[in-house]
Formats: sequence, structure tokens, C-alpha cells
Amino acid sequence: MSTATDTMLYLDGVSVAFDGFKAINNLSIIVKPAEMLAIIGPNGAGKTTMMDIITGKTSPDAGQVLFDGRTDLTRLDEAAIANLGIGRKFQKPTVFESHTVWDNLEMALKKPRGIFATLFYTASDADIARISEILETVRLIARKDELAANLSHGQKQWLEIGMLLAQDPKLLLVDEPVAGMTDSETEETAKLLREIATTRSVVVVEHDMSFVRDLGSRVVCLAEGSVLAEGTLDQVSANPVVIERYLGR
Amino acid sequence: MLTHFLRLALLTLSLLLPMQTVHSQDTVDIPAGIAAMGEASLRELGDIVTSLAGTGDPAVVPVLTALGDGNLYVDETSGTVVIQRGSTHLDPLTGEEITLGADADLSRIRVNNGLRRDIDAALAGMTLMSDNPGTRLTAANGFLANPDPANIPLLDEAIAVETDANVLKAMQAARAVTVLGDAEQSLEDRQAAVPVVASGAGRNAITILNAARADAPEELAASIAAAISGLEQERAVWGALQNVWFGVSLGSVLLLAAIGLAITFGVMGVINMAHGEMVMLGAYTTFIVQLVIRQNFPGLLDYSLLIALPCAFLVTGAIGVGIERGIIRWLYGRPLETLLATWGLSLILQQTVRSIFGPTNQMVIAPTWMSGSTEFLGLSITYNRFWIVIFALVVFALLLLILNRTPLGLQMRAVTQNRRMASAMGIRTPFVDAMTFGLGSGIAGLAGVALTQIDNISPNLGQNYIIDSFMVVVFGGVGNLWGTLVGALSLGIANKFLEPYAGAVLGKILILVLIILFIQRRPRGLFALKGRAVEQ
Amino acid sequence: MLTQALFRALDKKAVWVIGIFLAVAVLVPMANLLIPAGQFGHVPTYMVSLMGKYLSYAILALALDLVWGYCGILSLGHGAFFALGGYAMGMYLMRQIGTRGVYGHPVLPDFMVFLNWKELPWYWFGFDNFWFAMAMVVSVPGLLAFVFGFFAFRSRVTGVYLSIITQAMTFALLLAFFRNDMGFGGNNGLTDFKDILGSPVQAQSTRAALFAATAIALALSVLICSLIVNSKLGKVMVAVRDAESRTRFLGYPVEYVKLFAFTVSAVMAGIAGALYVPQVGIINPSEFEPGNSIEVVIWAAVGGRGTLIGPIIGAIVVNLGKSWFTTTLPDFWLFALGTLFIFTTLFLPRGIVGLWSQVVGSRRTRRVSDAAPPAAPTPVQSADIERGEDPASFGNGTQAKPAE
Ligand SMILES: Nc1ncnc2c1ncn2[C@@H]1O[C@H](COP(=O)(O)OP(=O)(O)OP(=O)(O)O)[C@@H](O)[C@H]1O
Ligand SMILES: [Mg+2]
Repeated sequence: MSTATDTMLYLDGVSVAFDGFKAINNLSIIVKPAEMLAIIGPNGAGKTTMMDIITGKTSPDAGQVLFDGRTDLTRLDEAAIANLGIGRKFQKPTVFESHTVWDNLEMALKKPRGIFATLFYTASDADIARISEILETVRLIARKDELAANLSHGQKQWLEIGMLLAQDPKLLLVDEPVAGMTDSETEETAKLLREIATTRSVVVVEHDMSFVRDLGSRVVCLAEGSVLAEGTLDQVSANPVVIERYLGR
Repeated sequence: MLTHFLRLALLTLSLLLPMQTVHSQDTVDIPAGIAAMGEASLRELGDIVTSLAGTGDPAVVPVLTALGDGNLYVDETSGTVVIQRGSTHLDPLTGEEITLGADADLSRIRVNNGLRRDIDAALAGMTLMSDNPGTRLTAANGFLANPDPANIPLLDEAIAVETDANVLKAMQAARAVTVLGDAEQSLEDRQAAVPVVASGAGRNAITILNAARADAPEELAASIAAAISGLEQERAVWGALQNVWFGVSLGSVLLLAAIGLAITFGVMGVINMAHGEMVMLGAYTTFIVQLVIRQNFPGLLDYSLLIALPCAFLVTGAIGVGIERGIIRWLYGRPLETLLATWGLSLILQQTVRSIFGPTNQMVIAPTWMSGSTEFLGLSITYNRFWIVIFALVVFALLLLILNRTPLGLQMRAVTQNRRMASAMGIRTPFVDAMTFGLGSGIAGLAGVALTQIDNISPNLGQNYIIDSFMVVVFGGVGNLWGTLVGALSLGIANKFLEPYAGAVLGKILILVLIILFIQRRPRGLFALKGRAVEQ
Repeated sequence: MLTQALFRALDKKAVWVIGIFLAVAVLVPMANLLIPAGQFGHVPTYMVSLMGKYLSYAILALALDLVWGYCGILSLGHGAFFALGGYAMGMYLMRQIGTRGVYGHPVLPDFMVFLNWKELPWYWFGFDNFWFAMAMVVSVPGLLAFVFGFFAFRSRVTGVYLSIITQAMTFALLLAFFRNDMGFGGNNGLTDFKDILGSPVQAQSTRAALFAATAIALALSVLICSLIVNSKLGKVMVAVRDAESRTRFLGYPVEYVKLFAFTVSAVMAGIAGALYVPQVGIINPSEFEPGNSIEVVIWAAVGGRGTLIGPIIGAIVVNLGKSWFTTTLPDFWLFALGTLFIFTTLFLPRGIVGLWSQVVGSRRTRRVSDAAPPAAPTPVQSADIERGEDPASFGNGTQAKPAE
């Protein structure tokens, strides 16, 4: 199909099977720089697995996965991929529970990751300011010294989003960010993501249709490991196959 | 006795091989000939020997042998000829003991070297023509051990009429050895003899060939050398086979010790450091069972191991369930803590046993059917090892059956694959856990019963096996019994193959190092379970 | 940069601990040397050595805690690093014997003469020099840990698998050192030491000095560990412990974080071993026994893992107990130790220190009802990301835990 030039993320013909079960089947997806892409699809469609492939957790059996039009992600390990500038928020929020909110962000902050760099790291004023700013954004400033374990589910979601911001990635992979959030928080999240997408590429996986509508981005519907439909939300949700396979009724 | 046996054999043989019984037994009166020996001159003695040998009757063999060996005496008083063996005197024909009169005056019947040679040849020829294949075989082997070119015609004659394949082979080998060593023979014949020697002379072939090579002409020496190297290769193969057997035997012990561990580790993710102590308790149970049987039912002593099997299984199984309910269930999902707690438990169990039975080794007597050894295809196999191999395989098969064919097995597998899901489906995971742990421990107990046959029973018994068992499980891959089987056998065999080169200790070190390297290649073992539950 | 790191390392607790051990390093030798025997306050020489032994154990426990308590790597082979350090020191001490051995050979240690060896094996060269030996004390365990860890961590051997192969490592070394032809004295090990740095090892003043050295080494170990765990690297280590792959997704080189902790820890263990040997007067292969390494784990667990003071307290308390039991109730020591293992894992997952902070914490909560300090979670948490990670890895605790 098209070429990888001028893309932030380029998946072509990717397949992966677990014990014969094809979780991803000849999947091709492109994300342009500073573009937001929403991915929807039934449970088990392979959305999370796709993210696993991009972030190096799972290596594909076939296909090409390129970042920034040139870097082959299938050859790199998780840490190297993260350091390229790909940040991920997990479906189930995972924060470092025995660290404080502040420390979680400090660890995520984009800084050299080497052993001795971290050993002798001291937060500069700029770092402190940046963390405080993120804490404001995710509205956790009041709880910055608390252990992350004590946060509620929604707050952990926010903290993870905050960590994503702190990482300052070029490409954000956000898996079900608004599960467990109130309506107003959901709107806030959509706003935040839209804002981020003005400068970076964002891939959002969500089942919440009103949230996806809020994002106002291009939508891809996955099913059984490959693309079922693509376009605006209205186009996709009007697609009879999508209605049958995913939206129902 | 001997003659009686020989006659019997003769009878059966003559029935089996009617065409063979062609000798003219009735033309010579054997007893008269023997009686005549007492008074005969050397020359007459020679004639008597020839005529006796001519009968081909095996009954004359003892007399001739005794004569050749200087054990044949005559009582000058009565003229009776007797064989003297130690302080007893035997009738030369019947072999029965004879009490001589008080006035008996024994003198040895003398033979000279020439006659002795005649006797030997006659004997060899006779036994070579004997109707008993066993006797013929012995005779042939005798020729093989003392090759003499003079015997070649004799051997040719015997070979011509021989029907028993084994004996024939031995005769041909004997002939070939003789030919090979005889410089008078043509080079072609000697060349032709080489392969016959190599294939027929058994264990000594290499020695014989080496001896022959020393003074053989060049071409012959070359073909002998080739035959030797062929034999050496063959011998290496047999040695390897023997090693495989030793390895299988060690592997089956490892399998027994590890298989219970594989279950508890595989199904429950529990590292049971007290597993070795379960083995040890199984061994002590066997000890007690045998003690009780010896004191109360001595008649059953030979079956005490069989009786100990269920006892050991129940005792250790029950203890296992107790451990699971008392300690391990509080630690699920914390494998490292489980490891520590069970290690503590192992210390307690060891010390308990030490306090009760003392630190010294205890003995369990091997039943008769487990002692001794046998040769099988040139491999020497001790019965206790043999039965342990069989036992390990049976236990393995039973376990496979339990896991694959019973409801408990189904539930266990369900829990292995997805604990949360299984419990959501209504499987009582706590019950399954307790049963699984009980089963694993029970099997350790069975291993203990088997180990009583090859190892000392001491409080430290389990310690000697625990690390090896872990290696097996980790090497084979968790959660897969076949992996454990392959792991145990390959570790056992690898161990035995390294031993000759590196020595037992270094071999073991090498194995440990190899496993450490292996785990780094395949962190989940040979046969790793796949799936989301055991990600990465 | 370094000063900032040092400053961070010296938080209040660490300063206290370091201060105490520096004081002990001065006071105990003084009480031994200056106060005459029989007078109040005198510490007998055997006591000094005994305490020195405990303190070297404490260094070992602290080293283990750095990898286990902070980084989640349960090493069951730390006794090996300890013993290697001990052997390096033992080799130096052997070379100092000179002609005073039973056979009076100027170069060869007695056991080599006994085995009819003609010359010193190459790996014994240089050990007559103290500083060379000290370099080996540090570098042999460090190198072994580095190589071992490099392969193990890079292939992502984790959890119990790692524990088991570390155990196999020390077991292999045990077998190796038992061999006479290894050239380390076989079964009997190295003993009958005479001098260290020119002074007789048995002398009272040497023993006091060795004690002081051990106490200072312990204080330095605390300082270094404090420096590490209070740095961002320390936080990453804890992150690796609790959620290894999440840390990876943040871009941290998890393998190297572990490798760093493991190597530093092994070096500390080696130093502990080197201090231990001259004070007990012998090093033999039994130090490699897997059981010894596991015992170290329980010291750390009893005291409280994931803290700096915990393992020190644990090592001292458990070994005091051991000394008491082995003299008064020798048959019961293993019962006590076994029970300790079970009790600690079941009821005291955070050790003495955890218990203490719970007690103190709850009292403080009662007094200052607002801003209650949250109870620190046990390092046993859901480590799985998305889907259950390794069921056999640290954490993943979804099941019932006993009431504490
Ligand atoms: N490691 C694995 N082993 C086996 N099967 C796997 C593995 N990873 C994913 N799968 C399977 O691949 C399929 C896709 O899973 P995935 O988690 O990507 O779905 P999803 O689209 O994210 O669903 P959801 O909307 O529920 O989050 C599922 O059927 C899952 O069981
Ligand atoms: Mg998903």
C-alpha cells in the first residue's frame, strides 16, 4: 500500500498467533505525525495485542512495524522502544504503588535512563516545575506525597496519564483511558488528549462511544485482528458490518 | 551325579537329535577297560585311552580327566581303580563315593607327557564330539583359549557335523584363532580368519588380535589392526549403551524425586523446599514398615516394600495436605515466601526425624527379588536398579492417567492454566490445591520407598536430591510432566556420560553449569507452558 | 553531583545507624584494650571476635537486602560471594604463614605440600601481597556476579527460577571447592593463619582492630546502600521489584539496574567474607552450602527487608539466638530456625522493623489524627501488567493473606 515516509507509526501486514490462534491477522495501520487515531472493536479484537507489538512486549510473526518512518520496532526491546519516544498507558492502570505520586512522575520524567545518570540524578528546578505542572493537569497536586497505592482507580488512571505526559513521548498509546472515570473527567480527558494531539501522535483505544465522539478523530474498527472499517466515527458506526460485529442491534 | 546328569542329557539329546547318536557304544566294554588300567603298562594304557576315547561315551570323560591330572589311583590290594578327590574316593564311572577297605594300598596310575598329550587331545576331541552342546561349547572355548595347530583337523571334523549355531560359532572362532596364530598357514587363510576371530572371540578378541598382530606379516597386521579398531568402536558403542542404562537408572531416580515437585510447582506455582524431606519420610516409613513386619509377620518380609508403598504414599500425602492447609495456602502468589517457609519446614522435619531415629543411617533389607544382577545383551543390570526404572515409569504413567483421565486431574489442569477462571467456574481451588499438594507429596513418599534400595536412609536423604530435582523440573519446563520425564532422563544420562571424562564431582558441576546456561537460553525450560497466564 | 547524592544518602535514619556503628568501632576495642579484664565494662577478646563475626554477617545480610528487599531478586547464592571473598582473604593469610607451617615450606601452604604439589598454582600468585588480595576480595565475587547476572538478567530469568539457579551456582561451587585438586585446601579449607599485615591474627590488638574494621565497613556499607536506595536509581530498583515490565515500558534498562544491584551486593558480600575469615580463623567449603545462603535470607526477613537497618538487626538477633541455642540447647536450634522461617513469612512479612514502625505508627496516628502516615504496603503487590505476569514471580498476591 502506501509508503512509510511521513508516518509516525506504520504497521504493514502484521500477524501474530498464540498457539495457533491468530490474535492479529494481517493488520495494517498508519498514524501520521500530530494525528489522533481512535481504535474501537469488540473484546478480544486484538487492540491491546497491537499495542503489545508496538511496544515490544510481543514480537509479531510477520509484518513490518516502523516508527517515525524508519525505525524497525520489532528488533528493539521494550526499554529501547520507550526511549525512542513511545509512551503507553495500560488498560489496567499500573503505577508504582510503593512510590509516592511525586516519585512516580519523577521516574517517568524524560531524563537519561542510564544507571549512573539515575544514581546521581538530582531534580533540577525545571524538573520540579514540570512535575508540579503535570500534577496540576491531572489534579493530583494535593496528593503528591501520598503513596500511589492509596489512590482510587480513577486517580490511578490520571496518574498514569500524568506519567505519560512526563515521558514527553512522540507517540502515545492510550488503552482505555476513561474506564472508571466520571462523565466530567471523561470530558476532561478527551480535551487533554485533543490538546496533546496537536503536537504528537496519539492512538486511543476505547469502548466509550461518546468519548470517542469527543475525540473527533479518525476511527479504526478492529475485529479478529484486522481492520474492519475506517473513517470518521459516523462513517464507521454506520457501516453495517461494524454494527453487526461490534455495535450490535 | 555328574554321569547321571550326563546320561540324562544324553537321553534327551538322543531323543531330540536322533541322527547324532551314531557311536558304537557296545563294541568296547568301558568298565573292563577302566579296570584294566590299574595293571596296564604305559603302552597298554595308551591303547586303553584310545579305545575308551573311541567309544565317544561321555561317561569316560571323568576317568580320562583324572588320569591326565594324576588323580586316578589303583588300590593295589583289591585292584579297584578310583578317582581321588581331596580325601574322598569316587567310582570312576558312576562318580559315587567309594569307601575303601582298611587295608587299601593306593598308588597313582602314572602317565608320561606323551600320554598326557594324547589324553588331552582325546578328551578335547571327545568333548568336541559330545552329544551335549554345553560340553562341546566348553571344549571349543578350551581350544580358543589354548590354540594348538595340531587341533585344526579335529576342529574341522567337529565343525563339519556341528548343528548348534552357538557352538558352531565358538568352534569356528577357535579354529580361526588357531589358524591366525599358526605361521605355517597360508596368508589367505590367516587373513580370512581375522574377521571370524573378531566376531567370534567375544571379550578376548581384542587381546587375541593384538597378540597375533605382534608377529604377523605386514598385510596381515594391517587387516588385524582394522579389525581391532572395528572391535574397539563396537566396544565403545556397548560401553555407551551401558552408560545409557546407568543414566536411565539415575534418571528414573531423579524422575521419582522430581515428579512430585513438578506437580506442586507446575500446578500451584509453589516451590516446596521440603519436598526432599517428604522423600526422606517415605524412606523412614519403609523402614518402620519393615521393622513391624520383621517383628510380627516375618513371612511377609519379602513383600515389605510393596506394603510400604501405600503406607508411604498415605503418610507423606497426609503430611503434604497438612502443610498445604497449615502454611502454604497463606502464601499463594508469594512464591519466594513459600520457598522460605517450606525451607524452614524442611529443617524442622529433618531435626524431628533426627531426634526420633538418631543421626545414623538406617537399613532397609532388599527383598530377594531385588537383589543380584543379570546380564542382558552384554549389559550388566542389577535388579534393584531395574525395578526402580520400572517403578518410576509406572508412577509416571499412573500420574499421567490421573492428570488426563480423572476429574481431579481435569480440575488440576484447569487451575494450572487459569486459577482465577477455574475458581470462577466453581472449581474449589482450595480443595484442588490441597489434593494436588497431597498428591505431589505422596509421590515423593513413593520415591522415598524406592530410594531405600539404593541409598542410605538418613535425615539428610532428601537434601541430596532436592537440588537435582529442581534442576530436572526447571530444565524440563514447569507444568508439563513429559518435560519432567525428558528432563530427568537427559540429566541422568548426561551425568553418566560426563562422569567417565570428568569424574563424578566435576561431572555434576558441569551439569549444573550447563543447566544454568540452558535456563538463560530458555528461561522456562524445555517444554514451557504457553498462554497468557504464564506470560513471558 | 556526588555531594548532593551523599547529602541525600545521609537522611536522619542513615546518620543514626552509621553513627552508632562508628561509635561501636571505637568503643568496643577501647573497652577491650583499655579496661583491664575483670573490671566492669571490659569486653573479653573472644567477645570482640564474636561481635566482629556478627557484624560481618550483618554486612552480608545488608548486601542481600539490597538485591532482595529493594530489587526483588531473591538470591539463594549470596553465601557464595561471601565465601569467595573469604577465600581470597584466606589465601592471603595462607601466604603469610611462610615457613611456620607444619612442613615449613617457604612458599607452598601445608596442604599443597601434603598433596605433593611442586609449585604454587598460577591463581595463587600475588596473594602474598595484601592489596592484591584485597583487590581480589572485591573483584572475584563482583566479576562472578556480573557475569552470572549479565546472562541471567538479560535472558529475563526471574522469580523462583533465578533463586534456583543462584542456588545451583553456590552448590556447584561447593562441589568444586571440596575437590583437593582445585588447590584451595579441599575439605579442610584454609586455616592455621598466623599473621595479617604483620601482626599475629590471634593477638588481642589485632582482633580489636579487625573488629573496628568490620564495624567501619558496616557503616560504609550502610552509607553506600543508603546512597543507592535514596537515589532515583533506588526508586527504579523498587519499581523493578514491584512491577518489572512496567519499569521497562518507562524506558529503564531493567537488566542493568538488576545487574548493578547484584554486582554491588556481591562485592559487599565478598568484603564481609574477607572480614569474617581472620576473625573466625578458618574458611572451608561448607560456607558454600545452600543452607547457609538461605539462612542469610531469613536474617534479612526477620529484621525487615526493604529497610537498611532491618537486615543488620536480623543478622545480629538471629545469630545471637544461634549462639545461645547451640551452647544450651543444641538439638533445638534447627527447630527454632525452622520455626523462625515459617513464623516470619506467615506473620511478620515486614520483619521486626515493620512491626516496630507499625506499633510506633499506630501510636502516632492516635496522637496526630490528621495526616495519618499511610501504612507502607508490603512489597507484595500486583506485579502483573494487563494480564498476570509470571505466576511464579514475586508478588501477584491476589489470594488470602494471613491476618497480621
Ligand atoms: N500472550 C497471549 N497468549 C495467548 N493468547 C493471547 C495472548 N495475548 C493475547 N491473546 C489473545 O488475543 C486476543 C486479543 O486480545 P486483546 O487483549 O488484544 O484484545 P482487546 O482487543 O484488547 O480486547 P479488550 O477490548 O477486551 O481489551 C484475545 O483472544 C486474547 O485471548
Ligand atoms: Mg484490551
